Amino acid sequence: MAGIIKREQTLDKFFYGLTFSAAFLVLAVIGSIFISLFRESLPAIETFGFYRFVSSTAWDPVREIFGAATTLYGTLVTTFLALIMAIPIALGIAIFITELCPKFLKPVFGTAIELLAAIPSIIYGMWGLFTFAPLMGEYVEPFLQQIFSPIPVIGKLFSGLPLGIDILTTSIILSIMIIPFIASIVRDTFALTPVQLKESAYGIGATRWEVIKDVVIPYSKTGIFGSVIIAMGRALGETMAVAFVLGNKHAIATSLFSASATITVTLANEFTEADSDLYLSSLFYLALILLTMNFLVLAIAKTFLTRKGKVWC
Amino acid sequence: MTEIAKRKLINSGALCLACFAAAIGLFWLIFILSDVLRHGIAYINPSLFCKTAAPPGMDGGGLKHAFVGQLLITFFALLIGIPLGILGGTYLAEYGRYQRIGRLISTISDIMISVPSIVIGTFVYAIFVKPIGHFSGFAGSVALAIIMIPVVLRTTEDMISLVPWEIREAAFALGAPYYKVILQVVYRGAATGIFTGILLAIARIAGETAPLLFTSFNNMFFTTNMNEPMPSLTVTIYQYAMGPYDDWHEMAWAASFSITLFILTLTILGRLMIRWKYKN
Amino acid sequence: MSDTIMTIKNLNFYYQGDIRAVNNMSLEIRRNQVTALIGPSGCGKTTFLRCFNRMHDLYPGHRYEGEILFDGSNLLKRKDITELRSRIGMVFQKPTPFPMSIFDNVAYGLRLKGIKNRAELADRVEQALRQAALWDEAKDRLKQSANSLSGGQQQRLVIARALAADPDVLLFDEPTSALDPISTSKIEELMVKLRQEISLIIVTHNMQQAARISDRTAFMYMGELIEIDDTNTIFTNPKQKLTEEYITGRFG
Repeated sequence: MAGIIKREQTLDKFFYGLTFSAAFLVLAVIGSIFISLFRESLPAIETFGFYRFVSSTAWDPVREIFGAATTLYGTLVTTFLALIMAIPIALGIAIFITELCPKFLKPVFGTAIELLAAIPSIIYGMWGLFTFAPLMGEYVEPFLQQIFSPIPVIGKLFSGLPLGIDILTTSIILSIMIIPFIASIVRDTFALTPVQLKESAYGIGATRWEVIKDVVIPYSKTGIFGSVIIAMGRALGETMAVAFVLGNKHAIATSLFSASATITVTLANEFTEADSDLYLSSLFYLALILLTMNFLVLAIAKTFLTRKGKVWC
Repeated sequence: MTEIAKRKLINSGALCLACFAAAIGLFWLIFILSDVLRHGIAYINPSLFCKTAAPPGMDGGGLKHAFVGQLLITFFALLIGIPLGILGGTYLAEYGRYQRIGRLISTISDIMISVPSIVIGTFVYAIFVKPIGHFSGFAGSVALAIIMIPVVLRTTEDMISLVPWEIREAAFALGAPYYKVILQVVYRGAATGIFTGILLAIARIAGETAPLLFTSFNNMFFTTNMNEPMPSLTVTIYQYAMGPYDDWHEMAWAASFSITLFILTLTILGRLMIRWKYKN
Repeated sequence: MSDTIMTIKNLNFYYQGDIRAVNNMSLEIRRNQVTALIGPSGCGKTTFLRCFNRMHDLYPGHRYEGEILFDGSNLLKRKDITELRSRIGMVFQKPTPFPMSIFDNVAYGLRLKGIKNRAELADRVEQALRQAALWDEAKDRLKQSANSLSGGQQQRLVIARALAADPDVLLFDEPTSALDPISTSKIEELMVKLRQEISLIIVTHNMQQAARISDRTAFMYMGELIEIDDTNTIFTNPKQKLTEEYITGRFG
């Protein structure tokens, strides 16, 4: 009997060690990623520093002068535009599912959101390149240009040759991709509103919309905000869909119809082509900046959300 | 207009907009899926799975090399990712549930799920490709494993946490040691949930392209050697779609269709399993 | 007169942070009897019960003082809890069937002990199910999941599972509070019958239950043993005023 006890105790310790090592691996990996990227960017950091790199619009592989400003600009602009377009629609979808949707249709819409989120980035890219961008370039963008270019300040946003491979198309596709993230978190948060709270509002005579506007949405404020931040993190890091339809132009774009570049797309297109050490190091530098932005954004989102059970957030 | 009538009007207006938003969401989904279906079905044919790539510009190639490559890379990624994810999740839910380090690892895992996959690709390049000197299928598998581990880990943690504490106490009261309680009782209770988490993780990595771009890179030739650049369906789609040839575009669509079908099937299966489990 | 199977001497128990929950309790548990522990919520009866099979060892910061003499030694100082727990089993408030078949549930404790022989397992499983009055209902569905049983049946399954290990003592922590009246009476019948083979200690907040099935009853209040006596005496002629007040519903 004593032999069995000893063996069980050893096995217990072994199993604990095994599971702990596996869990700790996560910390080890994320730490290694930061360290590794930093080490690889060191040549570029030493050459360009931080402020100069971030503010420089240069991107000259021949003369080996690199700056992050153009790609940062592209990343931030596309993300920002995608968010503005996605938030209202996602909120509307969440409101629809929780308040308006008939019972038998709820699983349909729930599944639809999950499918939208499951479609891989590259499929969005294919659809974007072969179907959506041509549509934008041939019909939508010329139409928008006709309407808006006469208007003094806003008109500048719609100048240039509308080819469909540009910031506008990219932002729209990005917004479609992040809608499910916002919608599903907000839907879950809405569902947590206590029934008594809503019933008291109805009891005073509020309309459906007023209950949503004055009770449900304020109650879900942190959840909504957190979901937006998560979606932002997602959009920042999106690669393939953007790579198909943004072009890869290193310049500060002033029009919705110009091509641009994001950090992710630049990495995708130029990483294997980098022919000098400084070039590669600058690309690593971009990756490090992106990782840091993304990590910070997601950490902030976590403080707003304590979510349970979502897999792909 | 009376105040009440105005409010009712705003109410109807707002609710209509919400319905409209839902319709837009549904519209995009149907638009994209039907497009993939339309193009994909047109170009799917058996030679796709039997022939490997023809030289650029020549007709009559297939995607056999890409399909097999994708399977191999995914297989090894699963080999690494599934055990590590399950074991890690077990630690978080059992031993580390109330420890600070357990909560820290859980939070970091959540964040890692949304880290840009291309950054993970650069990382694996730095530690696996650069020192060795060449791209490899293994590097691709490692990159995919890094993406998949936090996903499996968190679902395992969540599913194991759902097993009621009293069941563990009952097993202890019979004299079982902790590791047996976990292996024999807790795992059985959480099995369906863990399995579903794995399905969804597979669906996630099956469509990944960016992390493979500079790890397994690509290969026009059929190979099963994981130690050299390995073709994958996703990277091939990217290469073919951006290329100049029409039959490349067609094959890219066919491949897109296959991947989408696979991923959507897994996703729906996974969600169905979750609903079925909760009904019981 | 039955003899003693366990002697508790000056038992104190402290939770984490040195919070005393059991205060200097001394009593005897008699063999082949049902001993009931009653008292208001929070009086420490469950804490006291869980000392017998060292359940508190699962949680950090606990401290035992005193002795529980069982089989010639102080079980609080024993190194091998595994063997102890196969001789002193426990049934909890919520039925806790493992996510396995009915057969595997009952066989679990046996397999832990190392018994692998199929014939022997089948034999002892049947014996345990008969003891727990579940054999007739379960014999045709041994391979089905334990979750397919009703609440009352699940609790009897848990009792069978504990019985299969051939214990000397069975501890019950409010075993019927989650069950309907019919299942409750079935389990009470079972407990009275089991007296012939083992000794039972039951914690219950239901005084009528204690009066129905127990031979001796102990009344606890604020971690202390106020009074222990034959059940009849406790409920008709208690010696302590506190006991009388509790019995008549003045508090608790």
